[in-house]
Amino acid sequence: MLQAYWYITKMKLLVNLTYRFEVFTSVATNLILMLASVFLWQTAYKGGSGSVESLSLQDITTYTILSIIISTIFVCDVQNTIYYKIREGQIVTDFYRPIPLFACYLAEDIGEMLSSLLNRALPLVVFASIFFGIPWPASFGSFLLFLPSCLLSYAILWLLSALIGLIAFWVMELGNMGNVKDAIVRVLSGSIVPLWFFPESVQTVSKFLPFQYTYQTPLGIYIGNTSMSEALTSMAVQAVWIAVLYLILAAGWARTKKKTLIQGG
Amino acid sequence: METVIEVKDLVKEYIIVKKESGLRGSIKSLLFPKKTKFNGVNGISFSIAPGEIVGYIGPNGAGKSTTIKMLTGILHPTSGSIKVCGISPQADRKAVVRKLGVVFGQRTQLYWDLRLGESFELLCRIYQIDQQAYDDNLAILTDVLKLQEFINTPVRQLSLGQRMRGDIAAAMLHSPSVLFLDEPTIGLDADAKHAIRNFIKEINRTRGVTVILTTHDLDDVEQLCSRIIVVNNGKLVEDGPIGSIIHKLTPHRLLVVELHEPADDLTTPHATVIKQEGLKIWYQFEKESISASELIAALSQKLPIQDISVKEPNVEDAIREVYKTTATR
Repeated sequence: MLQAYWYITKMKLLVNLTYRFEVFTSVATNLILMLASVFLWQTAYKGGSGSVESLSLQDITTYTILSIIISTIFVCDVQNTIYYKIREGQIVTDFYRPIPLFACYLAEDIGEMLSSLLNRALPLVVFASIFFGIPWPASFGSFLLFLPSCLLSYAILWLLSALIGLIAFWVMELGNMGNVKDAIVRVLSGSIVPLWFFPESVQTVSKFLPFQYTYQTPLGIYIGNTSMSEALTSMAVQAVWIAVLYLILAAGWARTKKKTLIQGG
Repeated sequence: METVIEVKDLVKEYIIVKKESGLRGSIKSLLFPKKTKFNGVNGISFSIAPGEIVGYIGPNGAGKSTTIKMLTGILHPTSGSIKVCGISPQADRKAVVRKLGVVFGQRTQLYWDLRLGESFELLCRIYQIDQQAYDDNLAILTDVLKLQEFINTPVRQLSLGQRMRGDIAAAMLHSPSVLFLDEPTIGLDADAKHAIRNFIKEINRTRGVTVILTTHDLDDVEQLCSRIIVVNNGKLVEDGPIGSIIHKLTPHRLLVVELHEPADDLTTPHATVIKQEGLKIWYQFEKESISASELIAALSQKLPIQDISVKEPNVEDAIREVYKTTATR
């Protein structure tokens, strides 16, 4: 069975590596975004006290660059995959295979993630290094913690996306649901502006939501803004969120299978 | 009797939200949706023995696809029971679909971006087919369905006929004992249809695969199926061998007579004139009460006959008859 998932991942990876034009546009857009954000921070820091909340300009630059780079790797197409498959009735063909649907979609997304690592993230790292110098981590230790934390982040993001996909089984017209979720994630995850800059009350509420554990946690670890023990605690919270979201998804999926609506034909 | 598929009192209820037209209507139906229930499938029972080729036919919206979807475990029935190879598809979908091959003519299970052969490779891994068995099976399928010319072409570049052959091969790779075909010849040219029908006959004969076929193409039915199940409005209306259904539903035959000069009295006690065009006359008669030769003998005594032909009713007439008599809702 694992062989099947690996084959899906491999094929998705190979197919994606052949799309050149899309890669070019994606790198270009993200590069512009990266330049604009960094310049914005530079201007903001020039006028002010020099550093906000013990975050130096170098820290925030690294944070922003890394945030944009990992956003190209964190591929969560599952919500759109399910939405389109249901709309077109194509989902039936996934049902008559003896293999779990969500695991297949995860395998596809992982394949896409691997291809993005090669043809999107890598060029962005090179460009960022040319413009702003290599965005080094705070220490080797923080880099080592950054990697597993990124994996946990991805799991949270993917499960959130899968839950949105699950809703598509019930309502048919998902509409902007996915975009709304994406916007919430973008703001509350600290991917654009770290939550440390937000009012105290927002930060308090945010601690009890899954979003800040998707971007801010690994990025905070990377720039050394979180101590070792804080980092481990955050990663434990990430793991708890994964468990919670997974259980919701599993329970929702069990109910959905009994009431599936399938379009046409 | 041994059965592969056992369906008892199957019911599938749909809830339909009635949408009203106009802006006011859409706001109203958003706030106070009018829900109505209707039974897509309404108490169907049948059983199918191993090695049968069964035509599952009915007009659009009769509940054919819904039944197939329940048989494959995609939909859950509202009530009633289903057993496929002794297993309920709702209780253990994965175990059931291992024994099934499914082809929906209007959809494809092949991967759009991959070459056809790569889709097969993936299925080999999903079904965990033994490599030797896979190679042998693929060789046979490639040969019978003539896949070699496009097995390395990406699926999105295949013609409809090629794609359909690819889809059928994909459904047969894991050697299922039951094959569901939902409109397998839709939109295909005569050549491709012929190839697919031959393939179905072939696997039924050599491997004893049970085939359930839904189609609107009655040539498919006539050439392949020994038995047909007719559904309409979610109910089973006929189930039996093709010949006896035709016989039962269309007891009439037609005799077409062409005269070489007009005649005054066309009537005969054994048949009724149903149509007349110039010198051509259509007589309808019941084959139970008089044979064709007796009728011809009777007519030739009083009419100046030039040409004569007898029309046998075909499946199409029979099916239309069924749809007509049961289309009441």
